[in-house]
Amino acid sequence: MRKETREYKFDWMLWTMFDAGAKIKKGFPKEYSTSLGYMPYYRGVIEPMLATGDPGQKFIECCAAYLDNLVHSREKGFKTAITTFCFSPAILYAMDIVPVCLEILSVMQTLTSKRGTTEHLDFCNEVGYTETSCSSQRGSLGAYLAGNGAEIDMIVTDTPGVCDTNANAFAFAAAYLDKPFFSLDMPPELNGARSDAYHLGDFRALIGFLEKHSGKKLDIDKLRTIMLRIRKQDELVAELEDLARLRPSPLPVTYNFMLHASRFLFAGMPECTACLESMLAVARENAAAGRSGLSSGVEKLRSFWCYIDHYTQNLRLWQMLERNNICYQGNILSRSWAANAPHVKEYGTEAAAYELDLSDLDGMVRSMALLNSRMPMIKSIRGPYDAKNMWLEDTVNLAKLHGADFIVYNGTPGCRNTWGMVKMFARDTEKAGFPTYIMYADAFDDRVESWEATQERFEEFLTVRGLL
Amino acid sequence: MKEEFREASAVLNNKYVKKWKDGGGRVVGYTCSYVPDEIFYAAGILPYRVRGFGAEAMTIGDTYFGPFICSLPKCMLQLAGQGDFDFLDGVIITPGCDSMRRLDECWRKMGDDAGAHMPAFHFHFGVPHKFTDYSITWFIEETRRLIEEVERHFHVTITNEKLAEAIRVHNKTRLLLERFDAIRSQAGPPISGTDSLAVILAGTTMPRDDYNRLLGELVGGLEKGGDKLNGRARLMLVGSASDDVELVRLIEGDRALVVADNLCFGTRFYSNLVREDGDPVEELAKRSLAHNDCPRMYGEYRERLNRLKEKAEKARVQGVILQNIRFCDLHGSENGLFERDLEKAGIPCMRLEREYGPIVESGRMRMRIDAFLERIG
Repeated sequence: MRKETREYKFDWMLWTMFDAGAKIKKGFPKEYSTSLGYMPYYRGVIEPMLATGDPGQKFIECCAAYLDNLVHSREKGFKTAITTFCFSPAILYAMDIVPVCLEILSVMQTLTSKRGTTEHLDFCNEVGYTETSCSSQRGSLGAYLAGNGAEIDMIVTDTPGVCDTNANAFAFAAAYLDKPFFSLDMPPELNGARSDAYHLGDFRALIGFLEKHSGKKLDIDKLRTIMLRIRKQDELVAELEDLARLRPSPLPVTYNFMLHASRFLFAGMPECTACLESMLAVARENAAAGRSGLSSGVEKLRSFWCYIDHYTQNLRLWQMLERNNICYQGNILSRSWAANAPHVKEYGTEAAAYELDLSDLDGMVRSMALLNSRMPMIKSIRGPYDAKNMWLEDTVNLAKLHGADFIVYNGTPGCRNTWGMVKMFARDTEKAGFPTYIMYADAFDDRVESWEATQERFEEFLTVRGLL
Repeated sequence: MKEEFREASAVLNNKYVKKWKDGGGRVVGYTCSYVPDEIFYAAGILPYRVRGFGAEAMTIGDTYFGPFICSLPKCMLQLAGQGDFDFLDGVIITPGCDSMRRLDECWRKMGDDAGAHMPAFHFHFGVPHKFTDYSITWFIEETRRLIEEVERHFHVTITNEKLAEAIRVHNKTRLLLERFDAIRSQAGPPISGTDSLAVILAGTTMPRDDYNRLLGELVGGLEKGGDKLNGRARLMLVGSASDDVELVRLIEGDRALVVADNLCFGTRFYSNLVREDGDPVEELAKRSLAHNDCPRMYGEYRERLNRLKEKAEKARVQGVILQNIRFCDLHGSENGLFERDLEKAGIPCMRLEREYGPIVESGRMRMRIDAFLERIG
């Protein structure tokens, strides 16, 4: 790792960037346009985000507030826990613990930095972590392994049984940094009394762990407040998902990204609610006017991303979709499995959903255990991909619900659990009537395949399959 | 006698399996050491650890698995698709790791496409990734579910008495292998690491009673003495699944001896006894799950490190080879930690990444091993 990279803490650098980004449009237009000139790489994120108006502003503020909590955790009296995107941070917030979400931090860095996270990725390898591991965690984990981030108190994850490379990143970090570690384990079946009991037992043990290492008892009132907000956020997400079904889709192409990022950072917190409310207001307006969310106003194709996006510099994936007039109908991250989500009722998947019971502590803990077991990826990548409520069923149903014209898989070469079956999965989605494209890029590392090559191949797929 | 073990370890459908099948016996394959094979002994079925050695191509494996996947399950699928496992009447897949758990779908889909090569009995055996009161409860239920399915499919009855007898027989194996372990790790052992692995592997592919008899004779004979292998560097082999004796032969050459291991096809397979005084299903489940030597059991690194240090000390090893199959992130990363901490403890280590399957890169590996042997003198 270069000396210059170590000069400032990695998360502090991100905080200053997003904090400045949250303020940049509050001055005069001339100040704004002049300032953009000083951020040749970061402007590719800031400009399109802020161009969405209030939702983009709220989203950047959301990111800045999250990073502020992280870098000033000690001053604010918070503990910190390295965690993963598919672990609901709500329980952490209920116990004054700041979630240090590795994947989101990696995305923040890859989007805004010319070199992306390459130095952190490589640092992990230097200290013994395999280069074949997932770049989503490595991209920011390297900074913490190098001691170039906020102080870490503990490590929690929930991916054993779902994703080895993810779980392994956290186990490695715990051993390397010698920090307390807890992992929620996921049985292969989502439903049934055995799985429910396992999820609950595990979640109770998690609370015990968090209480021990935070030095605080779980505050029932605080948890209830947070869960009430989650309920509200689920309603907002459900309406956004429902509106996305309209033709043309009234959702701007970056909404999906903003939706899941704000939930991963701030589920159960007011910052997330504000962001979602703002997005919904615009989406409602567009819907009422019969307007497409695409900036061209013309919707030619509807894409469904069955796994994750491509996050390297400057939102280039979303720019490409915009350029081709393709709207974005969601990915595995953006789903809510709250009982009120439109797809839950439409496809009779109530058993795979969660409801929040706020009646007493036991009900709340049970609900949180259920919610966590229904987080993106946690819910649907645990068992065989073609089993009930798993990845294939979710993908085909959601692609139908959103009127997708095609499906795209993108991940990272570190994703053992999907690369183990994605060829067969794609064969099945093709059989279900959806042209399906498997991207061989790395969502977090352009060195694996350049963006130019990725884009060319993607557009070639659209051409060859007669979609464009 | 060693030839018996060599044949059983190096031929998939070995003479014991053939004899078993010729006698009308049934064989169930499994992919992971977390499956309690006592269940099959109790059912009168031959449990058989599915392996991937001998695959000479990857055409079928690559058709179903994606590119960034460990070559072990790919080789297993290749062999299955070629019909090399057609003697299996059943197969159990576990989530040992992500590559291995996807063998479930790959084998099923390959079987559908080929209209063949898929054993009639197929079971996805969920193994938790932690050892706690609630994970034990879950795993006991999962073990009972497996027993019920075996009973239903094969029309057999697995009683507690039969299970208790199976536990006694398998514990006898474990005790014999412990004695065997002591022999191979003594100063100037009478058996090489290559032959030792063959002896251990044979236990996963032949009937238990035959194995115990042969093993008892071998151990008894070796304990009386034999030609000692002196003057070689003493190594321990650690890491990803290694079921190919040729890899150990390559490592040993004529200058080294693998006197200890921490492999799931090696000592990890037989460490720890099953208690014989409790409910047999519960005890089987507890033994299997308490077996935390695999990095799939997250958060147990310190315990594994301590066990490794103990083994290294007991066997007086001069160096540790930490190998992993490419894309095996669990062992690969843990090897990185082991290297840091073992070197700190004064135990020289060498990390070696390799592909599973035919050893086509023997020159590279030989060169690195030679350099390591020079280092440790």
